[in-house]
Amino acid sequence: MKRFITIITLMTATIATAQNGKAITEKKTFSRSTSVATEIKADPAIVWKLLTNAADFPRWNSTVISIEGKIEVGEKIKLKSTLAPKRTFKLKIKEVEADHKLVWGDGQGTRVYNITGKGNTTTFSMTEKIGSFMFPLYAKHIPSFDQSFEQFTADLKKEAEAIQNLKK
Amino acid sequence: MTTELFNAEFATITGQLKSYLLRMTASVHDTEDIVQDTYIKAVGKLNTFRGDSSLKTWLFAIASNLAKDNLRAQKRWTENVGDICREEAMGNQQFFQEAMQIRATSPQGAFEIKEHITFCFTCISKSLPLEQQLCLFLKDVYEFKVNEITEILNTSEAMVKYYLHTGRAKMINIFDGRCAIINKEGICHQCSELNGIFNPKQKFQEELVKIEMAKEAASGDKEHLFDLRMKIVQEIDPFESGAAALQLHHLEHNRIVMEKYI
Repeated sequence: MKRFITIITLMTATIATAQNGKAITEKKTFSRSTSVATEIKADPAIVWKLLTNAADFPRWNSTVISIEGKIEVGEKIKLKSTLAPKRTFKLKIKEVEADHKLVWGDGQGTRVYNITGKGNTTTFSMTEKIGSFMFPLYAKHIPSFDQSFEQFTADLKKEAEAIQNLKK
Repeated sequence: MTTELFNAEFATITGQLKSYLLRMTASVHDTEDIVQDTYIKAVGKLNTFRGDSSLKTWLFAIASNLAKDNLRAQKRWTENVGDICREEAMGNQQFFQEAMQIRATSPQGAFEIKEHITFCFTCISKSLPLEQQLCLFLKDVYEFKVNEITEILNTSEAMVKYYLHTGRAKMINIFDGRCAIINKEGICHQCSELNGIFNPKQKFQEELVKIEMAKEAASGDKEHLFDLRMKIVQEIDPFESGAAALQLHHLEHNRIVMEKYI
């Protein structure tokens, strides 16, 4: 029972931290998963619009250099990130559930964005899982996503809240 | 509302409606058609107007829908519209002959820098996605409130704010990169070039300091400079101003060029 309470306490602490915009990375032998979540004081539709307007990303998101293409199911986008500025990630838009969920990825990893909320409050979360059977061989060459995820989330929060607070 | 009362109210709103539609379509012909269609449509469903919103909001909603239908099939212009059209104009002697004729003979043939700033804004705003352009004009030029724009465009408050914010941000960025009036590194000098052609005796710098946006350019406050630009746009009626004939001629030239280009 004591052990069960400890686990529940740890889980609660983890969720609380995650919603504060702090990234959490879980490492396994064949995969690595980074998550971040935060509460945004803006209408979910604003957050969704920001996340699905590819060309506009570099204006508000300091972790993205460019995104070419359309964020629509089945489309492919070319993403350049500050995490690896010399690389262009060719990603497929795997799932789009308007105002709620966006998934993109390639053969090595998948990123999931989730939006929940109502009115002027949105809970935003983002998770990227990378891995394969070969993952242990190249894992050490992949930089940590933590800082980039936290910056992404902070930028999104700042921009969405600025839009929400526009003069009426 | 009786038809007589509606007609009287419509007449007071027509000027703003026309300038709004011209800025959306860049076509005098389309503007006149849409104003006429707005009138016919409004009269036809006048019995449905319950006064929940103002008549102006209601008419702008009808006109905006018609403008959207008109524009949906057309491609958006590009933000370097000024460069493309300048290049075309340089090789078009007839364009300059007509412009000089208007300048010399028309009572609305003056060339003023403020008028060109407004004209330039109209052209570049056509590079924005349509919803952003509509929201920007409705809020910053025609001074509708966000909740009125939600009615006009039949969308949510969140979306109006989003389009407004992103539209503004894009225009601020474009003008910061292009406009030599607000940024010494700006690549566009058309105001001074055209002032030299149409007002050869005028000293451009002396004229420029009469414009608040130019005076405050050194502040580098991009958002404030944009607000000042919008104030200039607000003050000018593209059909009634002293430079209307010259600017409308210029706009028609740009429309024809851009329709070919895009």
